[in-house]
Amino acid sequence: MAMLALTGAPAWAAALVVPQTLPASALAQAVQEDTFTMPTPGELLAALNKVGKPNWQAQYRAPIPTAYTSRPQIALNLGGLIADGYLAVEAEDSQQVQNIGRDIMTLAKTLGISEDILRRGKSIEDFAENNEWSTLKEELEATQNEVKLAMDQQHDEELTTLVSLGGWIRGTEAVSGWIANNYTPEEARLLRQPAIVALLRQKLAALPEKTHTDDLVKGLDSHLSTIQQMVSFPTTQTPTQDDVKKLNAAATDLIETITSKK
Amino acid sequence: MRSFFQRALLIAALALPPLAANAAGETDAEVAAHAAALDLGGAFTNDGFKLRDGDYEGTLQPGQSVLVQVNLYAGNEYWFSVATSDPKAPIAINVYDETGKLLKTNPYTDAHRAAAGFSPDNSGPYYVRVANPGAAATYCLIYSYK
Repeated sequence: MAMLALTGAPAWAAALVVPQTLPASALAQAVQEDTFTMPTPGELLAALNKVGKPNWQAQYRAPIPTAYTSRPQIALNLGGLIADGYLAVEAEDSQQVQNIGRDIMTLAKTLGISEDILRRGKSIEDFAENNEWSTLKEELEATQNEVKLAMDQQHDEELTTLVSLGGWIRGTEAVSGWIANNYTPEEARLLRQPAIVALLRQKLAALPEKTHTDDLVKGLDSHLSTIQQMVSFPTTQTPTQDDVKKLNAAATDLIETITSKK
Repeated sequence: MRSFFQRALLIAALALPPLAANAAGETDAEVAAHAAALDLGGAFTNDGFKLRDGDYEGTLQPGQSVLVQVNLYAGNEYWFSVATSDPKAPIAINVYDETGKLLKTNPYTDAHRAAAGFSPDNSGPYYVRVANPGAAATYCLIYSYK
């Protein structure tokens, strides 16, 4: 009926008709924008907070080195530290937020992008001291975006992919670690995210040749390929506790590779 | 008559010189669309929604649409908000699941802004479709979650 009414109508009128289904070819061409398509660690933690009361302090890790010399490795660890920041905010742990904030600034300095980020670091410290947890979540997200913007401005665009990758994998390690030890089917189903790993692998493959010569970057895709299979289960399937443990082991293995001092 | 008006607007828009860019590299139209989207999305923060610090901007000609992929988590609630730079240029927004099926969402529409709210049953990829039924317009898409 709607189609009949539009016969002879100008081209723009087609936009008034809302398609009930979209073909796979249209979905395949959808825009994928880093700051929109990649969820923040905060979104995953918010979902998990709804089905349980996780003890995020149990998912802390020992402080990581901050004296790397490889820029890709610094970018990967910067992403991981930002994810650590989200965990500390969820745990409402003021001291841990400040410690992580300082490590983020140290790594940012080694990339030469600290000037833009230092202001943000001071805010993080102030908000943590005042226990302003909601504002801190916004500050962490803004910090991540400013790090990426600063990288773009100094023509280090390829490093922004590595910041996203580092953040996602550290978030996955922490969340799968919690679920593996406190298993519920509902929580386990939150780990389904096939498109995120596909996007990360696609962006990794598109990195410039010089970045691919980095030993750490060279090995990332095989790790991600394994992890992609683990988070690509059908919507009708629920991962078992053993499945979650395997995912956690794979994420931990990759994080250890990323943090190992070269 | 309306068709002629739409085409006249498009021709006029194409004939205009590029809009001035601000210090951040956004055009005046992008700044206006961004402000209108934030104004709409900001209203949801009163209900505890957190505004994601990221947006997607562009320009749509009459009849054009754009599809943007997002990755969502089951159990969270989301609002996708879009606005155009021109208060007289309407815009439409819809959400699809990973099989391409149109989802039932909680809709909001006013003159040049629209929003779709929903809570996904499954974690995974979803697609936000922004469509322009009116004049050529610059738009800004944002989202919030809780």
